Amino acid sequence: MSRGRLSRISIATAMAATLLSTAACGVGGSGNDNDAKQPEKSGKVSGEISFRTLQLKPTFTTYVQGVIDAFQKKYPDVKVKWEDVPGDGYNEKLVADAQAGALPDVVNLNTDSFQLLADRGMLADVAKLDPAVQKDYVPGAWDQYKLPGKEGVFAYPWYVTPEILTYNKDLFAKSGLDINKPPTTVEQFFDYAEKITEKSGGKYAAFMADPKSRLPGDWQKMGVPVLNEKKDAFSFNTPKAVEWVERMKELYAKGAMPKESLTKSDDTSQLYGADKLVFGPGSPGFIRDVKANAPKVYAKTQVQKAVTGVLGHIGIYTQSLGVRKDTKSPDAAAEFAKWVTNGPNQVAFSKEVAIYPSNAKGLADPYFSDKGDGKDPETLARALGAEELKEAQLDANTPVEWTSQIGDAVVREMQKAVKGEVDAKTALAKAQEEANKILAQQAKQKK
Amino acid sequence: MAQIAGTDRGAATVAKGADRVPGPPGARETRRLKKELGQESGLVHRRWWTPYLFLLPGLVLVVLFSLWPFINTVILSLTDAQILRGGGFVGLDNYVRALGDDTFWLALVNSVVYTVVVVPCLVFLPLALAVLVQKKIPGIGFFRSAFYTPVIASAVVVGLMWQWILRSDGLVNTVFEKLRLVSEPVPFLTDSTMLLVSAMIVTVWKGLGYYMVFYLAALGNVPTSLYEAAAIDGAGPVRRFFSITVPTVKPMMLLVGTLSAISALRVFTEIYILGGESGGPGGDSRTLPFLIRQVGLGFAGETGYAAAISILLFLLTLVFSVLGHRLSKGDES
Repeated sequence: MSRGRLSRISIATAMAATLLSTAACGVGGSGNDNDAKQPEKSGKVSGEISFRTLQLKPTFTTYVQGVIDAFQKKYPDVKVKWEDVPGDGYNEKLVADAQAGALPDVVNLNTDSFQLLADRGMLADVAKLDPAVQKDYVPGAWDQYKLPGKEGVFAYPWYVTPEILTYNKDLFAKSGLDINKPPTTVEQFFDYAEKITEKSGGKYAAFMADPKSRLPGDWQKMGVPVLNEKKDAFSFNTPKAVEWVERMKELYAKGAMPKESLTKSDDTSQLYGADKLVFGPGSPGFIRDVKANAPKVYAKTQVQKAVTGVLGHIGIYTQSLGVRKDTKSPDAAAEFAKWVTNGPNQVAFSKEVAIYPSNAKGLADPYFSDKGDGKDPETLARALGAEELKEAQLDANTPVEWTSQIGDAVVREMQKAVKGEVDAKTALAKAQEEANKILAQQAKQKK
Repeated sequence: MAQIAGTDRGAATVAKGADRVPGPPGARETRRLKKELGQESGLVHRRWWTPYLFLLPGLVLVVLFSLWPFINTVILSLTDAQILRGGGFVGLDNYVRALGDDTFWLALVNSVVYTVVVVPCLVFLPLALAVLVQKKIPGIGFFRSAFYTPVIASAVVVGLMWQWILRSDGLVNTVFEKLRLVSEPVPFLTDSTMLLVSAMIVTVWKGLGYYMVFYLAALGNVPTSLYEAAAIDGAGPVRRFFSITVPTVKPMMLLVGTLSAISALRVFTEIYILGGESGGPGGDSRTLPFLIRQVGLGFAGETGYAAAISILLFLLTLVFSVLGHRLSKGDES
């Protein structure tokens, strides 16, 4: 064999070996649960920290920069490096950074990303970092950042958007319903929808079908046990859930919901703004959209507390700030996260956009109890949302076990049943079986 | 020979060689000539790695962004890896699981049916369109551009537009109802079969202009004398199309067939935008890429299993590519 050929072979072999070893890193290198230790505070608030937010630029640049500047003024030894990432691909970037060990020191998390990073042991226990801080937050919000089977609280609660009920007063009254008597249970909500459909003549629908946004909330409000007592298996296949499916199917066939909303619900504001939907978006933020895009419909909008059924209260979904477990500046990171989520800063943020503070003192600010003359939907939504939040509890939240995979599997079966392709009992039995299969698989992979 | 006769001495050597052995020089002779020329001119370096040096930038990109991810996918497919959790080796378990999974077969059938329907449309319709717009008539440039517009339009915009056209209270259903062609709206987006058909229409509509450009290039190479001769012989337009146009653009048709098969197998956006996150009602319109995304993404994503389905999709793509290659080989022979 010639010398040139030999060196060619050896170079090719070396390249292949390098490639394979780096490729293998992609698998094993991501590692199992992070074994970084809980950071210890030194008592000195200093150092450079990175801070990542979710889609706040450019609308809230002035506000966020103001909060950062004030913090840096208070702690001159700290430098905060702010980075804002757009909503599209936020989670993917987070995963990629976590994989590469490049998570920011303080990071904005939603429910899903919080659960993943906390479950993988990548977030610091903030209750240990600062045991006194718990009293600052609304109890429901603080408890949201505990994880089943893990000791500790893994993020600081930030802003909240509560669930409310909005409807078009004119179309409501046209159906013979009292505009001041909103539905309070899921069953009543369905009855109202039926009356609306009878009078609509096909010109407008009552509500959006999308089971993804209705479940498991509707079942919880009807008293359906989503999980068994040990929380190791789903148990929603009950007569009450069958009743839910049957009612949905009946109403869908009658035209109470836009046909396409069974698979998509991204145009709720649009349909509501065009007088084609009676029950509008269930979030105060969307009311502002309606105000801007459909002022005539905004004037006809009635705001009430959300349907809570047997629970009597809403769930609580806050954005949060997590602190990277292996941060080099735990004092600065924890102090900064606390600063961003403190009462005055959260109240100031809530005045910029229709959100609410998770901070107890912030929520007690008179701004949130002012109902004005009781006629402006946006002001009313703010006051009602704040009232609801004070009583919000975690049992109305989607359980941690209801992952997106499980939610999708259940939703697929429900779509078939609502369309009438499969009967309610069969669909529920299959949905529960699928959900438990995925749950068992996920539990096996966690071990 | 002239191309290597770059110097006087080289030319003389070639002439000398030609005297001795008539015809082109053998490999040894050529090597000797090149060696002499190289030494003489000092321009040709025969270090074996020189060409690789030029290839290096491209090779690095290919290795980093194509080869490495591919190998990583193969390795991942043999593990039970999850998002942010490195997996252990599980052998062929993921493949066995896929083959025993009804959802995998549903997605596979949907992907194959999608390809089988879309490919012939994308092979023949753009050809017809190209023949039409190739004619030199006033204002044809406008039509050429118009047909190409869907190609540059974003997939999301196209999807939303078609959603408005096809929904129960959309343009098509309103027209059908006004003309009393239907009593109930056609469930273009709420029936799984109709949703697949709707997505196919969007794919074909979007691909027409793209492949039309391919055919326009191919048609430009057909000598007009052929058409003139055929016309003199009495061949009509249809005869000329099948006897001249089709045979001359046949290699391009095979290329378009292969390319459109590959992109049809990768269809995702159309179904996602028209049928929502679940992939149509009950998820019955999911294709293989849709399933891969559903299984592998999200915070509970099973990266290992998704990688195995990706490899199976790759093999399926390979089948269609080999088929295209075989057909073109057969055509050449």
